[in-house]
Amino acid sequence: MLIALASFALLSRDLLSGIIALGAFSLFSAVIFLLSHAPDVAITEAAVGAGLTTIIFVWAIRHTGRDDR
Amino acid sequence: MRKWSVPAQIAISFVLLLLFLPLFLSQESWPTTARDILAEDAGTQTGAENIVSAIYLGYRAFDTLGETIVLLIALSGTMSVVSLLKRNSEDERTPVSLDFSLEEEKRAHHRLRTHLLEVVTGKIGPIILLFGFYVVMNGHLSPGGGFQGGAIIASGIIFFVLGNPHRREESEIQRTTLHLIESSAFLLFLLAALVPLFITGEVLANPFESKEVYIIALNTFIGLKVGAGISLMCISMIERRNV
Repeated sequence: MLIALASFALLSRDLLSGIIALGAFSLFSAVIFLLSHAPDVAITEAAVGAGLTTIIFVWAIRHTGRDDR
Repeated sequence: MRKWSVPAQIAISFVLLLLFLPLFLSQESWPTTARDILAEDAGTQTGAENIVSAIYLGYRAFDTLGETIVLLIALSGTMSVVSLLKRNSEDERTPVSLDFSLEEEKRAHHRLRTHLLEVVTGKIGPIILLFGFYVVMNGHLSPGGGFQGGAIIASGIIFFVLGNPHRREESEIQRTTLHLIESSAFLLFLLAALVPLFITGEVLANPFESKEVYIIALNTFIGLKVGAGISLMCISMIERRNV
């Protein structure tokens, strides 16, 4: 699942869906961190990976373009 | 990234796999000495039940001080770039609208989206903020701590900003406040690091009887600093969205 999401984020032509896939990737990896008894890392991954970087990336495509050329 | 052909990408992933495969397949057991020592003594020596907190605020607090300085420098760099962009754009155009929500004339067309965004973020924001403060204050007992809680606080503040339509003057005030919180938290952190020097003769040594107080104080300062800093950065970037 993680590999599928990561390669989709890497290969997708539409940057917005790539960003959403990256957020989902962060969420899944947070769950995996939680399952492997690293709750600290899981909190950080969920807050930074799924929350803040998604906001910053969405802001970035707003100012550039949605297409990946 | 796009310039690389598909075979090159596959080759790179193959090489990476080959590099890391021995790590996963090795039968060698991990070293356990440090782990056992920490699991045994960390709680009593530093006053933090949570071993991660015990390490980064107890044993390695000096490194944490350096880490906050790194964050401060990264923040000043981002802010200088953002303000440079803003100045360039303001030369050519009329002042941009700084509303985070849509403008009045556009609101009617996007009513559903606007209401959804404002209601959801406005309601969830305070809860996330509360959870962030909980994570910061309980950093010595439960998973989390200053950095994690600070990131959660930042998301809460950004939710507030997204959810509340407001005007330019208000957002100026908000940014000044965040700036003030960020710098004063860093100052307090430095003070907390330096004051023990005069009491006990060591930097970052705990001057209090109870060990928990010092850890909680450091966690709070870091949390405030990280939360205010990251949200300040995101807000100043989002505000330029109409440029």
